[in-house]
Amino acid sequence: MKVFQAILGFWLTAVILCAFLFPIVPEITRWYEFPVIPGLEQKARILFFHVPLAWTSVVGFVVSVIFAIRYLRTKKLDDDIRSSSAAGLGLLFCALTTITGSIWAKFSWGSFWNWDPRETSIFVLLLIYGAYFALRSSVQEDDKKATLAAVYAIIAGVTMPFLMFVMPRIIASLHPDPIINTQGKVSMNGTMLTVFLSSLAGFTGLYFWIYSLTVRLARLEFKRSSEGE
Amino acid sequence: MYQFLQDNSLYLVLAISLMGWAGIFFYLKRLGARISRLEKQDKS
Repeated sequence: MKVFQAILGFWLTAVILCAFLFPIVPEITRWYEFPVIPGLEQKARILFFHVPLAWTSVVGFVVSVIFAIRYLRTKKLDDDIRSSSAAGLGLLFCALTTITGSIWAKFSWGSFWNWDPRETSIFVLLLIYGAYFALRSSVQEDDKKATLAAVYAIIAGVTMPFLMFVMPRIIASLHPDPIINTQGKVSMNGTMLTVFLSSLAGFTGLYFWIYSLTVRLARLEFKRSSEGE
Repeated sequence: MYQFLQDNSLYLVLAISLMGWAGIFFYLKRLGARISRLEKQDKS
C-alpha cells in the first residue's frame, strides 16, 4: 500500500507539473508542447483535471451499482457499506466536476452557470445521488435501509450513463467537444494525450485509495454502533 | 502586485494546485495511519 501511495504521489505531481508547465503553441516543434485547441487556448489545461474528475465520479457510481447488486444477492451488510461509500465518493467527485466546470464556464462563456444541457444533466445527477443519501438517513433499520438503498442505487446507476453521456450529446450544447467529440475522434497530440491519460489513471488511483479508507472507516463506525446497541 | 500576479497567473495556479495536492496527500496518509490504529485497537 505504501508503494502504491508513493507512486500515486509522484504520478499526480508529475501530471500537475506537465499540465501547467508544458507550453501551448500554434505550431509544435518540440515533444513537450501542446497544440492550441481553438476556442480554449490556455483554458484547455483544466481538461487534465475536469474530465478525470467526471470519469472518477462515473467509476464511483458504477462501483456503487455493482455492490448494490451484490448486496441484493448476498444480503451482507458489508456490500451495503461498499455501495454507499462508492456512491458518496461518486457524489463528491461529481460536485468537484461541477465546480471545475463552472470555473471553466466562467472564463469560456462569461458566467459560472448557464443551464447548458451538460450543466443541467450533472445538476440532475447531483440531485439524484443527494436523494440517495436522504433516503438512507430516513430509514433506521439497517437491513431495510440497505435493501432500499441498493434498489435506489441500481435505478440511479441506470440514469447515470444517460445523464452523463447521452443527453449532453443529443441536445445542442455550449460545452466544447473538439477534444473528444461526438464522432469519438481525439484531437490531441501524443504528449497531450499521454498527460491526459496519465491524469485519468492517477485520478482513478486516487479514487480507489480514498474509497478503501472510506470503507474501512464505515466498517469501524458500523462495528462500534452495533456494539453500542 | 496585481501586475505581477497577472503576468505569472499560470505559476500561481500551479503553486496552488501543488499545495492543494500535497495537503490532500498527507491528509489521506495520516487518515490511513489513524484508521489502522483504530483497527488494531478493535482487534485487541
